[in-house]
Amino acid sequence: MTRPDRLIYMANQIASFFAAQPGDAAEGVAAHIRSFWDPGMRTEIRAWGTSGGEGLSPVALEAVGRLKDAPAR
Amino acid sequence: MTRVFVPKDSAALAVGAEAVARAFADAGCEVVRTGSRGFFWLEPLVEVETPEGRRAFGPATPGDVSAILSGDSPLALGDIAAHPWMAGQTRLTFARCGLGDPLDPPPFEALARARDLGADGVIAAIAESGLRGRGGAGFPVGVKWKTVRDAPGGLKYLVCNADEGDSGTFADRMLMEGDPFLLIEGMAIAALAVGAARGFIYSRSEYPHANATMAAALGIARARDLTPGFDLQLRIGAGAYVCGEETALLESLEGKRGQVRPKPPLPAHSGLFGRPTAINNVLSLAAVPWIVLNGGPAYEALGHGRSRGTKPIQIAGNVARPGLYETPFGLTLRQIVEDIGGGTASGRPVRAVQCGGPLGAYFPPALLDTPYDYEAFAAQGGLIGHGGIVVFDDTVDMAAQARFALEFCGIESCGKCTPCRLGSKRGVETIDRITAGIEPEANLALVEDLCETLKYGSLCALGGFTPYPVMSAIRHFPEDFARASARAAAE
Amino acid sequence: MARLLEFDLGTPQASGAPVTLTIDGRPVTVPAGTSILRAAAEAGTQIPKLCATDSLEAFGSCRLCLVEIEGRAGTPASCTTPVAEGMAVRTQTPKLATLRRGVMELYISDHPLDCLTCAANGDCELQDMAGAVGLREVRYGYEGESHLGLPCDESNPYFTFDPAKCIVCSRCVRACDEVQGTLALTVEDRGFGSRIAAGQGELFLSSECVSCGACVQACPTAALTEKAVIEIGQPERAEVTTCAYCGVGCAFKAEMRGEALVRMVPWKDGKANHGHSCVKGRFAWGYATHRERILEPMIRASTAEPWRTVSWDEAIAYAASEFARIEAAHGPHALGGITSSRCTNEETYLVQKMIRARFGVNNVDTCARVCHSPTGYGLKTAFGTSAGTQDFDSVEHADVILVIGANPTDGHPVFASRMKRRLRQGARLIVIDPRRIDLVRTPHVEAAHHLALRPGTNVAILTALAHVIVAEGLFDEAFVRERCDPEDFAAWAEHVARPEHSPEALEATTGVPAAEVRAAARLYATGGNAAIYYGLGVTEHSQGSTSVMAIANLAMATGNIGRPGVGVNPLRGQNNVQGACDMGSFPHELAGYRHVSDDATRALFEAAWGAPLDPEPGLRIPNMLDAAVAGRFKGLYVQGEDILQSDPNTRHVAAGLAAMECVIVHDLFLNETANYAHVFLPGSTFLEKNGTFTNAERRIQRVRKVMSPRNGLEDWEITQKLSNALGYPMAYDHPSQIMDEIARLTPTFAGVSYDLLEREGSVQWPCNDAASTGTPVMHLERFVRGAGKFVLTDYVPTDEKVGPRFPLLLTTGRILSQYNVGAQTRRTDNVLWHEEDVLEVHPQDAEDRGLRDGDWVRLVSRAGDTTLRARITDRVAPGVVYTTFHHPGTQANVVTTDYSDWATNCPEYKVTAVQVAPSNGPSDWQARYEAMSERSRRIASSEAQAEPAE
Repeated sequence: MTRPDRLIYMANQIASFFAAQPGDAAEGVAAHIRSFWDPGMRTEIRAWGTSGGEGLSPVALEAVGRLKDAPAR
Repeated sequence: MTRVFVPKDSAALAVGAEAVARAFADAGCEVVRTGSRGFFWLEPLVEVETPEGRRAFGPATPGDVSAILSGDSPLALGDIAAHPWMAGQTRLTFARCGLGDPLDPPPFEALARARDLGADGVIAAIAESGLRGRGGAGFPVGVKWKTVRDAPGGLKYLVCNADEGDSGTFADRMLMEGDPFLLIEGMAIAALAVGAARGFIYSRSEYPHANATMAAALGIARARDLTPGFDLQLRIGAGAYVCGEETALLESLEGKRGQVRPKPPLPAHSGLFGRPTAINNVLSLAAVPWIVLNGGPAYEALGHGRSRGTKPIQIAGNVARPGLYETPFGLTLRQIVEDIGGGTASGRPVRAVQCGGPLGAYFPPALLDTPYDYEAFAAQGGLIGHGGIVVFDDTVDMAAQARFALEFCGIESCGKCTPCRLGSKRGVETIDRITAGIEPEANLALVEDLCETLKYGSLCALGGFTPYPVMSAIRHFPEDFARASARAAAE
Repeated sequence: MARLLEFDLGTPQASGAPVTLTIDGRPVTVPAGTSILRAAAEAGTQIPKLCATDSLEAFGSCRLCLVEIEGRAGTPASCTTPVAEGMAVRTQTPKLATLRRGVMELYISDHPLDCLTCAANGDCELQDMAGAVGLREVRYGYEGESHLGLPCDESNPYFTFDPAKCIVCSRCVRACDEVQGTLALTVEDRGFGSRIAAGQGELFLSSECVSCGACVQACPTAALTEKAVIEIGQPERAEVTTCAYCGVGCAFKAEMRGEALVRMVPWKDGKANHGHSCVKGRFAWGYATHRERILEPMIRASTAEPWRTVSWDEAIAYAASEFARIEAAHGPHALGGITSSRCTNEETYLVQKMIRARFGVNNVDTCARVCHSPTGYGLKTAFGTSAGTQDFDSVEHADVILVIGANPTDGHPVFASRMKRRLRQGARLIVIDPRRIDLVRTPHVEAAHHLALRPGTNVAILTALAHVIVAEGLFDEAFVRERCDPEDFAAWAEHVARPEHSPEALEATTGVPAAEVRAAARLYATGGNAAIYYGLGVTEHSQGSTSVMAIANLAMATGNIGRPGVGVNPLRGQNNVQGACDMGSFPHELAGYRHVSDDATRALFEAAWGAPLDPEPGLRIPNMLDAAVAGRFKGLYVQGEDILQSDPNTRHVAAGLAAMECVIVHDLFLNETANYAHVFLPGSTFLEKNGTFTNAERRIQRVRKVMSPRNGLEDWEITQKLSNALGYPMAYDHPSQIMDEIARLTPTFAGVSYDLLEREGSVQWPCNDAASTGTPVMHLERFVRGAGKFVLTDYVPTDEKVGPRFPLLLTTGRILSQYNVGAQTRRTDNVLWHEEDVLEVHPQDAEDRGLRDGDWVRLVSRAGDTTLRARITDRVAPGVVYTTFHHPGTQANVVTTDYSDWATNCPEYKVTAVQVAPSNGPSDWQARYEAMSERSRRIASSEAQAEPAE
């Protein structure tokens, strides 16, 4: 599996924003990704997360893990 | 050591006062430089302090110094205050001018009194005095100040119009050179009355000596805080006659091209930088301290008709005794020209007198009995203006004078309104056609029509008043136009 | 059809209490402050006039409008005399007739008698007035001194100045002063010698004149005349339409003679521009007939082949078959479309509708992705609406204007002129920009504070401003309590008040002295009505969306929302950025900013469109390109955009496009993207089609067809043909039907129709039952989302960092005379002002590198390199370089990177770490691209005449 550098970068950026917000940062990241990423991108980042998620920040990794829990809003 | 008073006024400097002062100094005298007493035909007029009082001599040259000091000079004039030319005057505004060092600040007694009176008291005194704008328009000063005082808005300005551009006038200059603190005091009082914390004196680049004296006086006033709470600055115009028009002056003061603004709004409502602004002539402001100290009624007691108080008349041109003569309104023009001025310098008969500057009417000998008074002059199509009087003898060509009026208008026009911008040029060309004998009657009619267009169509007094000299020349001296065209036709 | 000659009331409108007077015996009631001239005009009495015009303050110079007033001496000018209660005015008396003839006689004595051959014959106020005053002779003759021999200034490409025809009314000078605010014109000399001069006796072109056309518009004679009028003649009809350049959305009268456009005249009743214009909208329309415009469809199997000109049917059939083939082979998710902010709402709507309805995917995006997508995200989050809060008129009520990351005098010149007018009236200005933009110091305008921050530190400076406002207790407690979410505010206030957010703590980051930041914050919070205007210098950052929310926080905290004179105002780059976004161009939203996952919304559209819709968001432009490089995205329909030139990291864009199997470019010209295209569909210009644009203030305005499309079809017709060929039927007869559909499906547009636009001229959405004629200012009583939301905005430095290899920061922008990728403006005489993109370098940085002004330099970043000329200037700070991206030859975007906004992927154009070094020619990439471009533009049927690439 090729490392999805671009998606990792994007997920980390989103995570750095929500990490500063009050409340559940990972849920904020997950909701954002569900709202704005196409399913193919979501699948790709989820797969990367499942395989260890190297490069993903802790918040991003946790958020990626939650993507499978709920369909898009 | 003998004290000698030598004027430093431009009129005296122009005829060698500097060398005379140096000669007195070389002779071991203490020389005090003063303003002028206004006897221009006697400049440099020097005064020597003696135990009996000051003794005047003039016109003095360096060669006269030793005779003057030894007391046997034929130039002796005695006590100048007793001289009939001075004794006949009522010097209120120019009372101190020429007496001492202009940069020696007097006590500001009138300002102190004004503070006691308060703004309303000052305005009431000025209104009572009947003082009208000395710049030319003759608008009641008290009314103007009250308008500015009552105008809404916290920030207000006071502006002194010192852009004295009329031919044959010099009173503003003489005052600024001879008694600058009087103007400063007058402005401080005016500022108190209208509620301005900031004032400007708009002078002209043609007055280097006046500007130097004024600037030095302002520096002293600032250093000694003579006008607390009132910041006064000197600004110098760049040579446009039209900037003596108050709205063009304000434009220039704002750093813009000196173009006339339409009125309304009046400067009292929206003047400098759009703020309520009192704009007054030097002589109006300089009259204020006397009025405040002596009361409105004392000033109002002087004068004639609705023209109250004194007017510093400036007599110039072809006249035997040119100078500044301050007197209450009401003398006849003949008294001014013949008795005071002494008739022409050339000794030839007086043929025309132009009053009120280059835009004033020419009076023929038949009208010389007109009283010197705003309304009486207006009734004859004349203008008091800034008080300039220019005398011509019988060699004057009045067609050329009419042409000059239009040419002057063309040169000095700001170029904004059409009648003035184009009419002045067409007027000169049409008069040239008349004097060249080309359809003189039709062209005279055209000049008359043009004068109507200028008078009623112009935006400001420059174009609006140019018809006065032109039409007065045509009306009172038709032979000069006929002669020119006949001569041209004959050639 | 609009009036060709508009009615001129002489002086501007006043707003006082009603005053009644009589004019020629007839009672007239007008507001106090109205001039007699205007009162008479409103009552139908035309007083002769020349120097007065209702776009300028009264001047009183021509002296034709003299009147007599009962009880007053003299003959005052009616333009400068205000009405008074009970005043009795006479406008026609024998005396006035004589005076007016006297004045006119003077005018004509200095005017050429060439009316019959004059370009203004029939459109000349001097001619009209000579007739009106009954001038019969000029007794002065014509032998006197005159201005007839003065040389004509033809230096400006668009208009001439002929001083012989000038009547020195100063309307041009006043227009330049009052309307445009450039103060480039003056009157030279005085008296008879008075003449209009540009600058200090310079030619118009070399002076400070910005060629906005206000002077030409104001001129009552032929002294200032459009060259097109001289060449073509007087127009014979006019249609009102909307400019196709920036987001100001100026209304113009397109004045026509037959099928030829003679001139574009800014429309006085245009609510965005109020009769003003700039050099682009006023003059730069010649591209519509430029020889490089493509008028016939073209196709090719591969980009290695030359283009083959074909019929519309063949082109459409080929495009459809290719998309169908890709769909069959790779599935519908391999296809997508890009809508354009330069096209109409209706065209944009059709493109997204076709992609969504025909293919059941949401792979549609728009160029707002690369400009204002963070505005959409940020303002929706904070306020509940993806749009600016105010109308442009609002600026006239502002006391403090904060401009951040925008350069209005270049980017939004017509609005900038209004802003400058307000500033000249005394409003205070704060500029936050790395560069000393013109607004910082321009005639009679000077910024109270210029915070010249380091590129990329917007969030830091905005947070520092917030810190001062909170720490010094300058916030509007009542507003916050009544209008905003209290918990969010409390959390935000606590956050920004922390010492690490103080101006002092952030000084090292932003490079802005703390005292300046504090002073600016105090001014913004306490200076009266404070309005924020921002542009791409805010959005085009990795924290673009965060910055937008930080701006919203400032406005809410200080209560500067919900009334005229305040607000948060994004200055939109292109004419229809707002509209393209409104129309559902984003891959996650349907029209009206409703998420595709919302079942009710989707059901509404599915019912109307008769097709199932995908509930999942689609690909954004950069995602499409990534997917193409990865081999998963194969076909793209691009309408009216040039992503190769405009999008960041050109090499990556090129790789993405090259990887696709079918790229359909629908455009006026063979743009850079077309180098990678297989189908070229020639587009129509804004002059050739009907539709609507929505400007930066949410104003929907009509675009009217003034000439037939030279390419044969309006753009919406082309999309409709393609859709039909793809098997999704569309049968609109007119764009008004498309708008009707939009209105049915979009609550904020519910009241919009072409009939309404015809009646109202324009409306600002929301326009529905609650606001039947639109909404100038939003969030008046409450925020659209309910309580205003404060979002915490932590400064996160971009990953694009300077270092030893790339020690300088590049930021980019635009220039007045050019527009976006320059496809239009480069094909007009506007190139005279801007022939090439140059790199602004601070003298210190130039000296370090041995660069002189005008030298060729190589600009290198991690992404790529390009070559352009250097301009040495202290407009940029040391360590910062700046360029524009108008010319494909420069390819500034070869240098920009893939970094983008965290929320929207809006590219980080404004921050690129670069190095600059002397150079002696184009970079390898430029040379290779040039060669490729030349090959790719070949057209088989006319290859011999093919134009070389630019």
